[in-house]
Amino acid sequence: MEKKYSFSKSFKIVCIALMAIGVISIAIGFISSPEKAWADLLLNNYYFLSLAIGASFFMALQYITQSGWSAAFKRISESFIPYIPVAAIIMFVLLFGTKSLYHWTHHEIIATDPILAHKEPYLNLPFFIIRMIFYFAVWIVLTQLLLKYSKKEDLEGGMTYFKKSEFVSKVYIFSLALTFSLASFDWIMSLEPHWYSTIFSLKNFIAAFFHGAAIITLIIIILHSYGYFPFITNAHWADLSKYIFILSIVWGYFWFAEYLLIWYANIPEETIYFVKRLAFPWKILFYGNIAINWLVPFVVLLSNYFARRKSILAFVIVFLIIGQWIDLYLQIMPGAVGKFKIGITDIGTFLGFTGLFIYLIASSLSKRDLTPKNHPYLEESLHHSMH
Amino acid sequence: MTNKMIIGVYDDEGMLMSSIRQIQEKGFTINDVYSPYPIHEVFEALKIKTRLPLAAFLYSTFGMLATFAFLYWTSVVNYPLVFGGKPQNTLSFVVILFVMIINIGCLFTIITFFVREKKYPGVKPEILHPGVTDDKYLIVIQKDEKLSKNDLESINTLLKNNGAIEITEK
Repeated sequence: MEKKYSFSKSFKIVCIALMAIGVISIAIGFISSPEKAWADLLLNNYYFLSLAIGASFFMALQYITQSGWSAAFKRISESFIPYIPVAAIIMFVLLFGTKSLYHWTHHEIIATDPILAHKEPYLNLPFFIIRMIFYFAVWIVLTQLLLKYSKKEDLEGGMTYFKKSEFVSKVYIFSLALTFSLASFDWIMSLEPHWYSTIFSLKNFIAAFFHGAAIITLIIIILHSYGYFPFITNAHWADLSKYIFILSIVWGYFWFAEYLLIWYANIPEETIYFVKRLAFPWKILFYGNIAINWLVPFVVLLSNYFARRKSILAFVIVFLIIGQWIDLYLQIMPGAVGKFKIGITDIGTFLGFTGLFIYLIASSLSKRDLTPKNHPYLEESLHHSMH
Repeated sequence: MTNKMIIGVYDDEGMLMSSIRQIQEKGFTINDVYSPYPIHEVFEALKIKTRLPLAAFLYSTFGMLATFAFLYWTSVVNYPLVFGGKPQNTLSFVVILFVMIINIGCLFTIITFFVREKKYPGVKPEILHPGVTDDKYLIVIQKDEKLSKNDLESINTLLKNNGAIEITEK
């Protein structure tokens, strides 16, 4: 049980090589088409930020529901937290690209556009920056508090830190509801500032939770196949796959709720968003998005037999990794760039961010024992069975 | 020899589970367990196989196809009516399909369950112990010829030692 994950040198080199690929492709992107490069930067940063938010939400949820089974996996969701400050830095770098990404930052466009003029009290650059600082401040402070309590719990034990973590989790979940919704409005929806949809934020939040939970599961599967977490039984796999299964349904539900209402109401300023995405090249991604994020996990994980096989779970999660990218690509690119072109720079940037993300996760996992000490529910988690 | 089974009555889930495990370790087969709510551990311990989920899946698939056929026939084939400029074979089917899949799937699964369990209206219920309709847990072991007197005695002591509040035969 005292096994500690060690971040091997060769793996470090792989991560750094991926980051180097990322830096090179971002550089190439900025030389060839800066507009696309900014959008790529936004897409990938939001992608991994959403995973981090999803994972920290997962952790907070385990605290407030006082779940026993997941206590041993707490480190995995904790290891996503170091990405949030990094995302903040990249998001502030992205502020230099706002002129290229967001139409509403151009004064001459606002002057001729009554809709944007109407939205100006909210959609203006100073307020945008203030909000961004607010979101990141809330996320970083609360998640770091959770980390701090978890470290103290390891040293001292007892119920005090668990109770404190539970309280912080409650605050975190409520503040996420506000901050992450507004953040997705600000960063993604305002790419097409004429269009709006209130369920947009919910859908993005569920996507974050969905894919965050999926990546947590993937990391557990990988670590398990290297011999860590020897206590894992079918019951743990069943619970993890239940999360993915149920969240795929919720994701599909929100996606369809948004689409059906807009399709049914048939108001031109709303339908234009989907008309663009149902034109030829985007169409493939549009249908692929539903197939990958909803149909694949739903159909495959429907049977209990499949849901408890870790190889099949891993297979589904690989699909979901692509799925979240496609989902965000569809949300960002038509508004920010307008032309359909998935090039090497897209993939390279994604690989670069993946390298950075894996590096942060692995280094954070290697710092402490993989299973938490003194967590009040640890024993229940180690002997978890079906009941 | 009128009594066919030994029934151990428990009022705690933990005691029930440890009792089930110990009885099985001794090599006796437990035929049935009654509990006020489903316990997954019991399913695993007794190695109960059920095809009800498969049946539910098939009924739901049937429900989807049947509902789609009905919607398609009514609004495209038999009485095609354009309203709101929408295509006749439309997306709004999905909402009805969604509800009808659940409806048909549930109804048929419940009916199958009752048929398989031989529970029709008017059937006199066979109640092994009055506590079974309340909050008690029951372990049922069939008496067959293979079980010697010694075995029966050891089953009795096993049940007793694991905290059975009552042991009856029926």
